[in-house]
Amino acid sequence: MKNISRRDFLKVSTNSLLALAGLLGLGGLLRYLSYQFDPTPTSEFDIGPASRYPRKSSTILAHIPAIVIHDDNGIRVISLVCSHLGCNVEERNFGFECPCHSSRYDLDGRVLKGPANRDLKKLRVEESEDGNLHVFTS
Amino acid sequence: MPTSQRTSDPHNRTLLRRSLLTAAIAVMLLTAMLLVPPTAQASAQLQSTSTPTPQPTPTFDILRLEKPVIAADHSEQVKKGSILYWGICMACHGDGGQGLSEEWKDAFGAEDRNCWQSGCHGPDHPPQGFLIPKDKIIPAVAGSGMLTRFKNSQELHDYILANMPWWDPGQLTDEESWQVTAYILSLHKVMPREFELADTNASAIRTQSAVPQPSDDRPAVVTVLGILAFAAIGMIAQDLRKNKARGPERPNFFHHLHPPTIPALQARLRHTLGAGGLAVFLCLVLLVTGILEMFYYIPVPEHAAVSVEIITSLVPFGALIRNLHFWGAQALMIVMTVHLLRVVLTGAYARHRRLNYLIGLGMLVLVTLLDFTGYVLRWDEGIRWALVVGTNLLKTVPWIGDWLYQLALGGSEPGLSSLERFYTWHIFVLTLAMVVLGAWHIFRVRRDGGVAVPPPDQREDHSRISRFDLVRREALVMIIAGVTLLFVSYMFPAPIERPITQTLVDIENARAPWFFLWVQQMLKYGDPFALGVLLPAGLLTLLAILPYTLPQAGSHEFGRWFPRGNRVAQIVIVIVALALIVLTILAILPTPQL
Repeated sequence: MKNISRRDFLKVSTNSLLALAGLLGLGGLLRYLSYQFDPTPTSEFDIGPASRYPRKSSTILAHIPAIVIHDDNGIRVISLVCSHLGCNVEERNFGFECPCHSSRYDLDGRVLKGPANRDLKKLRVEESEDGNLHVFTS
Repeated sequence: MPTSQRTSDPHNRTLLRRSLLTAAIAVMLLTAMLLVPPTAQASAQLQSTSTPTPQPTPTFDILRLEKPVIAADHSEQVKKGSILYWGICMACHGDGGQGLSEEWKDAFGAEDRNCWQSGCHGPDHPPQGFLIPKDKIIPAVAGSGMLTRFKNSQELHDYILANMPWWDPGQLTDEESWQVTAYILSLHKVMPREFELADTNASAIRTQSAVPQPSDDRPAVVTVLGILAFAAIGMIAQDLRKNKARGPERPNFFHHLHPPTIPALQARLRHTLGAGGLAVFLCLVLLVTGILEMFYYIPVPEHAAVSVEIITSLVPFGALIRNLHFWGAQALMIVMTVHLLRVVLTGAYARHRRLNYLIGLGMLVLVTLLDFTGYVLRWDEGIRWALVVGTNLLKTVPWIGDWLYQLALGGSEPGLSSLERFYTWHIFVLTLAMVVLGAWHIFRVRRDGGVAVPPPDQREDHSRISRFDLVRREALVMIIAGVTLLFVSYMFPAPIERPITQTLVDIENARAPWFFLWVQQMLKYGDPFALGVLLPAGLLTLLAILPYTLPQAGSHEFGRWFPRGNRVAQIVIVIVALALIVLTILAILPTPQL
């Protein structure tokens, strides 16, 4: 390194400046592309008063998507998003089935058959001051 | 010739070193100068939006109750909003949007500090006062964690319009509500600079995430600009050095795009002005920046102008990308014209190069169309009348006018399908045609024997330069052009105006894009078909038949400027160029008032 010629020094320093500019440009490109235009979707849903879901009923709410089950144990809300890769599961007589990879769940959302290895998510439900139920997806 | 004179004697070396040092210092000074405005702006912004620091002892601060001073670079909307806020909202919501905090109460005079217990806002308030219930919390409207109940500025505006001021809801007009919204968002530090909130774009401005200001990008851009400038100096220094002889070098992909050697005389700037090469570089810049813009641009009338605003104001480095695309396009127009003038004024289109001349002319037409379609994609008030006039010109063509119009617009008036069409032409069809014609053009240059034939007295000089030197020179020109383009894009923003609304608005700017100003000027003189369609088409035909009708330069005249052989053609093109320039100047000059 001691005997580096002036020409080599010039070449190395120029090339490293160019490489540095290129790296910074790449960083700028990544920042440019990572801008999020769409707002994050809401994770809280107002599903109306509890009286809308009488005992012994199950109601599908397609916009969440989730199913509201009211039985002897009270009101539960189960997400209808397959725990495998996120398709919406469909109702069957045994419970739910995913149309994408045929995972099966029972009526309580427990896995009956893979590839899914986690139960359907139980969603948190809270009653707000005005008496409406609020479902939280996250 | 120029390189052979340079020797490595010590005197010249010192000179070289000195000039390099001077250039380096100049670049450093430039960088420092560029760094100053953003920091000055940043501090100005801090001043205007800083939340006041809590003060330990009650201090009556008359200055805090004065009219707020807004940094000059804020939009008119924010400035008007600040006055409204000061007059109506500030007493309760605080000078920094902090709400009626203890700290803010202390800013009032001692007799006003308990607003609701003194007469004005207590239960027994005088008729002109109003009641503030004692347990009423007057919320902060700015600061972290505030405004969470509003998803975007549209919701904030709607809330203010319907519910504020608290004692007399509905007092504010729609426009005033936008102004107050804009000011509150600027207090909350999420209001993009130079952005006019309106119901067309407000849902894009969220109340929660702080948006990156274009000025935030500026230090980064300046840094890259500085680094590239230093690299350019390094490349110039390498190019100036003699004894470039080096060990065997393996040609890479870019070397392979060039002939192994070319005559040294052909590579001289005075023959070519470097215009053709520059045009290739600008096309590459336009291609890359155009692709990047496509990530955010939405070709739908309701969203187009807003998405351009979003690219400019919100996306990190979006303003830079857009400015590069804009200035690259303007530069390409000029560089192509220079290229055309050079080719005619040196008689270079003669004989077997006639075909390539026509290909080049075809690309000039393509670039004009690309410029016009790209200009229209903004879909804001600034392009509205150019679009109307440009497409209505098609209607003036006899017999097929209406058909041409519908072909261009995809409907009977400018709308969704027109924008879709312009978008497709711009990003795909015309661009693809450019790539095809460009590749053919460059291939023909090589097939026809290189960029320029040397003058007769120098044709005996058989010195040649290798493709390594050629590529190095091209890289040098590219980096200098790139630094210049970056600098211009950094300094001068590309135009954007408010989105097109169907309401009747005052036409602030009915000017055509600058490269069509001459047409606009001619249209003032009479029949639109003759002057707006036939004449430009005739000019184009005239340029196209130059090599086929008028006398050409002989082979003994090649390599010289202004050869005798094609003098008539030179006079024709100079007259055309002058006429266009005069018409453009006439169009720029203000119309005399009657």
